[in-house]
Amino acid sequence: MLGLNSLSKLFRKTIGPRIEALGLLPHRYYLHRALDALEADDIDEAVRMVTLAAPGKRENARWRLVCQQVVFRCRVLASRHEQMLEQITLEMEIFGKNEDLSENYLRLKQKEGKARDILKQYERFLMSLLTGDGPNGSKSSD
Amino acid sequence: MDRKLSIPGGLTGALVGLAAELALEEITGMELVNGLLAVIGAGFGLIRIDQRIYEATVNLIKRVPVEPNSDYRDVLEQIDEMSLELPELRESFVKLVQAGIEAQKA
Repeated sequence: MLGLNSLSKLFRKTIGPRIEALGLLPHRYYLHRALDALEADDIDEAVRMVTLAAPGKRENARWRLVCQQVVFRCRVLASRHEQMLEQITLEMEIFGKNEDLSENYLRLKQKEGKARDILKQYERFLMSLLTGDGPNGSKSSD
Repeated sequence: MDRKLSIPGGLTGALVGLAAELALEEITGMELVNGLLAVIGAGFGLIRIDQRIYEATVNLIKRVPVEPNSDYRDVLEQIDEMSLELPELRESFVKLVQAGIEAQKA
């Protein structure tokens, strides 16, 4: 028991992340990790895991479904940021006469806009993986 | 075969186990039970990936933000819009809705 636990801890702290990044672990492992990240709304990690699971598995039904789940969540979160942007713009028109307030609103607007753009970027990237087109528009092969 | 169960014996065993675990944790600085559960959980998760994907699909719908004054048609429309060009996910959503309707009929 002690040996198994120590080995697992040692693996996770030393070579684990490196092997993970190489994409050498079982396909299901990456899907499992992508679902964990999706549940925690860690979209960056979810996209990373889906990408690592992608080579040679683009026609795999499980991979396609998990990838589409991440795209769906990206769209939901992006629309939430879009709504926030609309609300900030509206409030700026009403209360933004004050210079300090106006600056705060502008800062908030920038943050929301940036978050939305990042999510849209992830969405485009994952859609390109799903359709088999490279992220730059080139047709990729597995 | 008649077997007698000893409650004090069971309690003593549990206590000795707990003491051994705490002692090992103190000496080695490693959480044995948590570590073992994590390993078992990860293995179990790998085997039950389909169940996890299903749960994640249900979770996705649950986490769609709902406006206080919107009805179910608005939510359906929103889900429909968000799942454009995602055929497999749409199919899963449809299956979930159908299962819900079937369950309601039954």
